[in-house]
Amino acid sequence: MSEQQNLDPVTFEVLKNSFITSVDQMAEQILRTCYSFVIYNRDFSSALHDAEGNSAAQGNQDIAVHVGTLHFTCKDVIRAFEGDMHPGDVYAINDPYAGGTHFNDVRLIRPIFVDGRIIAFSQSNGHWSDLGGSVPGSFDVAAKEMFKEGMRITPIRLFDKGRFCKDVAHLIASNTRDPASIIGDIHAQAQATQVCEREILRLVGKYGEGTVKQGLGAVQDYVERAMRQRIAALPDGEWETQDFIDRDPAGNEGMIPIKVKLTIKGDRAIYDFTGSHPTIGSIYNSAFGATFSAVAAGMKTFFPDLPLNSGFYRVFEIVAPEGSIVDAKWPVAVTGFLMPFEKIMNAIYEIWSKIIPERAIACAFNLEYLLTGGRDARAPEKPIFMFYDWLPGGWGGRNGMDGCNVTTACFGTGLMAQPVEGQERANPILTTEFEVLTDSAGPGKWRGGAGVMKTSRMLEAENTVISYICDRERAIVWGIEGGLPSMPHGLTLTREKTGRKEWLGATFSDVAIEAGDVFSRPTAGGGGFGDPLERDPQRVLADVIDDYVSVGRAAKDYGVVIDPVDPEICAYEIDAKATAELRRQIRSERMGWLETDPAEISERFKAGEIDALDAVRRHAVILDWDTGDLLPVSTEQFRDMYRKRSAAGWQ
Amino acid sequence: MQNLRVAVDVGGTFTDICIMDETTGLIRVEKTSSSADPIDGIMTGVEKAGIDLSKVALFSHGTTVATNALITRRLPRTAMVCTRGFRDVIEIRRANKEDLWDTYKDVVPPYVPRRDRLVVSERVDAQGGIVATLDEDEAREVARILKRRNVAAVAVCFMNAFMNGANERRMKEILMEVMPGVPVSTSSEVLPEIFEHERFSTTVANAALSPVVVDYTSRLGKRLQQDGYERDLLLLHTGGGVMTPKSVEDFAARLAGSGIAAGAIASKYIAELCGFRNSIGLDMGGTSTDVSLAYDGQSRITKDWFIEFGYPIRFSSIEVLTIGAGGGSLAWTDEAGSLRNGPQSAGANPGPACYAKGNRQPTNTDANVVLGRLGTSLAGGKITLDADLALQAVREGVAEPFGLEPHAAADAIIRVANANMSDAVRLISISRGYDPRDFALVAFGGAGALHGAAIARELAIPAVIVPPNPGVTSALGCLLVDMQHDFSESYLKAAADADATAIEEAFLRLEQEASERLAHEGVASKDVVLQRSIDMMYLGQWRSLAVAAPSPVVDIAPLVEAFHREHQREYNFRRDETPVSLFRINLKAVGMVPKASLAKHEPTGLTPEPKTRRDVWFAADSAVETPVYDREALPAGFVFKGPAIVEQLDSTVVVPPGTTAEVDTYLNIIIRIEGEANV
Repeated sequence: MSEQQNLDPVTFEVLKNSFITSVDQMAEQILRTCYSFVIYNRDFSSALHDAEGNSAAQGNQDIAVHVGTLHFTCKDVIRAFEGDMHPGDVYAINDPYAGGTHFNDVRLIRPIFVDGRIIAFSQSNGHWSDLGGSVPGSFDVAAKEMFKEGMRITPIRLFDKGRFCKDVAHLIASNTRDPASIIGDIHAQAQATQVCEREILRLVGKYGEGTVKQGLGAVQDYVERAMRQRIAALPDGEWETQDFIDRDPAGNEGMIPIKVKLTIKGDRAIYDFTGSHPTIGSIYNSAFGATFSAVAAGMKTFFPDLPLNSGFYRVFEIVAPEGSIVDAKWPVAVTGFLMPFEKIMNAIYEIWSKIIPERAIACAFNLEYLLTGGRDARAPEKPIFMFYDWLPGGWGGRNGMDGCNVTTACFGTGLMAQPVEGQERANPILTTEFEVLTDSAGPGKWRGGAGVMKTSRMLEAENTVISYICDRERAIVWGIEGGLPSMPHGLTLTREKTGRKEWLGATFSDVAIEAGDVFSRPTAGGGGFGDPLERDPQRVLADVIDDYVSVGRAAKDYGVVIDPVDPEICAYEIDAKATAELRRQIRSERMGWLETDPAEISERFKAGEIDALDAVRRHAVILDWDTGDLLPVSTEQFRDMYRKRSAAGWQ
Repeated sequence: MQNLRVAVDVGGTFTDICIMDETTGLIRVEKTSSSADPIDGIMTGVEKAGIDLSKVALFSHGTTVATNALITRRLPRTAMVCTRGFRDVIEIRRANKEDLWDTYKDVVPPYVPRRDRLVVSERVDAQGGIVATLDEDEAREVARILKRRNVAAVAVCFMNAFMNGANERRMKEILMEVMPGVPVSTSSEVLPEIFEHERFSTTVANAALSPVVVDYTSRLGKRLQQDGYERDLLLLHTGGGVMTPKSVEDFAARLAGSGIAAGAIASKYIAELCGFRNSIGLDMGGTSTDVSLAYDGQSRITKDWFIEFGYPIRFSSIEVLTIGAGGGSLAWTDEAGSLRNGPQSAGANPGPACYAKGNRQPTNTDANVVLGRLGTSLAGGKITLDADLALQAVREGVAEPFGLEPHAAADAIIRVANANMSDAVRLISISRGYDPRDFALVAFGGAGALHGAAIARELAIPAVIVPPNPGVTSALGCLLVDMQHDFSESYLKAAADADATAIEEAFLRLEQEASERLAHEGVASKDVVLQRSIDMMYLGQWRSLAVAAPSPVVDIAPLVEAFHREHQREYNFRRDETPVSLFRINLKAVGMVPKASLAKHEPTGLTPEPKTRRDVWFAADSAVETPVYDREALPAGFVFKGPAIVEQLDSTVVVPPGTTAEVDTYLNIIIRIEGEANV
């Protein structure tokens, strides 16, 4: 507050906008010059920091997942090089245990000097395509410790007074599967930080060093002040919920809880993760920095108009039990931190949906990464290929609006889906299907958005393995306010030789595949919002005409009976009388469906009488989707939450 | 004698008609209200202006018909035929959102709903090999269904069709056979380039717009013909050239964004008249400002644009950056006590507070009135602004909350607006590797000349050009264009493997196609100019840069060196040791339309008297008694020093203290910015 009072309103507003423009210019430059296709598809972020490393501005289009982590890595670099920093220096860091995200996110940081004094830092963070480790892309799901995952970069010097430290850069590049691109990205990112430096020095030239320094602090105070006012305007109170990771591969059956309790007290928000499970035996753990980021990103969703900087981070506190899944310590594997990350984000969505109902939103689909690597046998020299793919899916239903169809995962809404034509040129893969998946959306008065199905066939390839990083095969995407869950995630492999379909599920690593094998991956739709029996039958009709919903599930999930009169010309009719009768019947029976013995549901599933959607949406039963065997602990956990989120919202 | 050239720019509020007499080079302008059917407004304007259409040698037109049809979704029922398994490419898009954080702000739905996207069995692989030929039984079945549905246009969008369009062509034949008269666009004809969403999105927009613009151009063509016009109607497209209705039939989506290009073209042209090959156009209207850039006589071109987020139209387009800052932009104080400006606008209705139509929040226009920069009697006395209401709005909206004097508050509002516009100019210039000190700023639109000099000073741009009719400059842009078409072909190869002969053959193929299309439009071969370029990148990079290519191409090495140079200029680094790859071959084909020269005016040596003097605040603390000139009274050759205000029908020019202005032979006002500037 005090700082801004010393700045006149025009200078303050101009500096605030110029800081944001300076980081947007970094983003523009990195997009145009990067080598990593992951960066190119917008998995990157840029920031301007004050001399202490606090964030003063972040890019408008930065990926959500990096929010709230850049100041940690900047501060770690300052700790490492304090007293030994010079104009023209650029440092690098990717350390998740120092507030970073995962090894692939490598941050380049440049100190900005005026007359020998540091006044700011610029930071460019991008997801490199590979950092070594045991699998292509550096995502080994089987890792329990970081040593299998990839290269940890604690603060290093990459440019020394403007001189490129080739030796260090090549050491890093040589430990990856794509050395040429890594060197390219180092140059692209280092250059981007210089773009920001140029802008800041321009501002110093115009307004003077003191004013710019003051501005860097004032913009943080400004955001803090705005946030505190908004929180103070809300009633004090406590809200709590939990979400789950599917399982601990090293433990027993049963989902892994992440508990969140929000306390609003005056102008502060406290997020307490007490009761969350200890770290698990896979890469699905989150270090504190990533947990902090998930809280910031989840909360920011409810205050979309405010600029992001450290002022925003000052209004909330986090209580995370040490050694829990939300506070993993070195050397616990954390490359899959996005799994707990998205659970935290969605739990925060649920909590804030109660506090600010006009922005309510149900659970979104779970991100998924597919990694395939081997030798491309289409060319005589059989080069290494890395097919690294991620899919969009459905977002949660909202208060008065259906969820968004086929949208990037909530951890990074800026991330773009890749073009199939580009993938087919670069990899021995032919995609046979990439379409909206009918009935994938969680039913609700406002349904979730629809997910997709992507099916691909391996062409000529050798020594090829496939890994899959996903979740919510059991902790299925949920609805709120009476809305229903959507569907399980999981990949199916069809072997060409045997014709057998193998359900590999949502998480697996290093499965060998051969030319002709076909793999199919659905993404879930979003969870529903509100009781599906209250959905306007006209909306159900439109969904049936467009094939987002089948005639069969229109009846089962919504109780709307539709007569396909002449589908060729899109002529369908609602049978109003049968609809009223069916809705009455579902209303009277559905509480009972929830009480059905789960073992019976398992038997009926095995007998082919019901499908996975019936099991999940009607009975809240979680099965092994391959064998149909009951998962009793997971079912109990899932039913408990279903009663609170779905059944409690039915009239 | 056909000695008139007429250009019409139809905007949301006004239809501007620019009439040039080829024999004298004199230009006059007619402004009428736009009508529900834009053609009525055009014909009314033509009549009001007393134009004898039989004397018109060239009638060109920038239209928002295509843009509006897309935005309002008033499109005829359009269907898509897709490769089986790829029905939803245009819905999946790249799956990103424009607003990353606002979960209640969605990307708009695609132009063709899912129900009208049908699939057939066929497949081409990444190398262009046919994996499956088109299943003709399925194709006929699809055609039969689409006929039953009475669709008005069809887009055929198959995977990898840019490598091999055989299946698409066959599908088109079957559709034309089953449903004759219905326009069919295929992705391999519309945009033979890699990346399915971008290609399909362009093809779908093209198909859906085809019936709309063909109907529009033929109705307008007929009305003009009835009234005596004998030539082809020329339509301005986003690439900055014009095309005839014949080409519009096949490339309707080139008209999307038509209006926006006009201002950029005019700005470039005027700057060149004044001797500036490098110019930045600042077109500031009531609600927004369009910024464009020309370097060495060429407008910046982009293929990365859209009318609505998520639905790219990948035809070459003049790059225009639009920001929400205009005369009507609101100044406001946010909850945390920061002074903001825009993007919300009072628009034309109710408009700024001084319009006395009910808005009480201060706008940039109100601030300009308070500072005396804008007079209270505009448009030759037709519009009167209420200075008291302006003062009241500035006092209540900004002065009181910040504890400022009203003039200081008004000055603060304008400085924030200018800073926002300067940031936009920085994005299109400095961050693209251009130094503003090498440019002239062309300030136009109703409000551009009020702010131009201040923005130039902020950016160290040495000269500001204010054209004679700043408010109707876009219409002039329509008058100054050539026929132009853009062609491209994917060429995906490392420079080391690239074959100069194959590239030359590809260029010759495109040139053949270009010459045929221009000949079809009646352009004589002596008037055809062909410009070659190749998009290149460092191996492993994802975005390409266009590099001019010679004719003939005999060697790859000079292209590679040109690419290194361009990369250094634009991004400030080059990597000589890194292999370079080629991405796309482009050809711009221009059919030169003979230009008439604008009238020149000899310096008179006269020194006009200001029509009045008034107090104007150029700084927050004190007013300066400032001469106010009538623009029509300013003769060529007149040089005057700031402070001065020049008023004219459609705009007001601010010449601040410390600058010198000169009226050139084309009656442009050129303001030279002196003194210390901040880069």
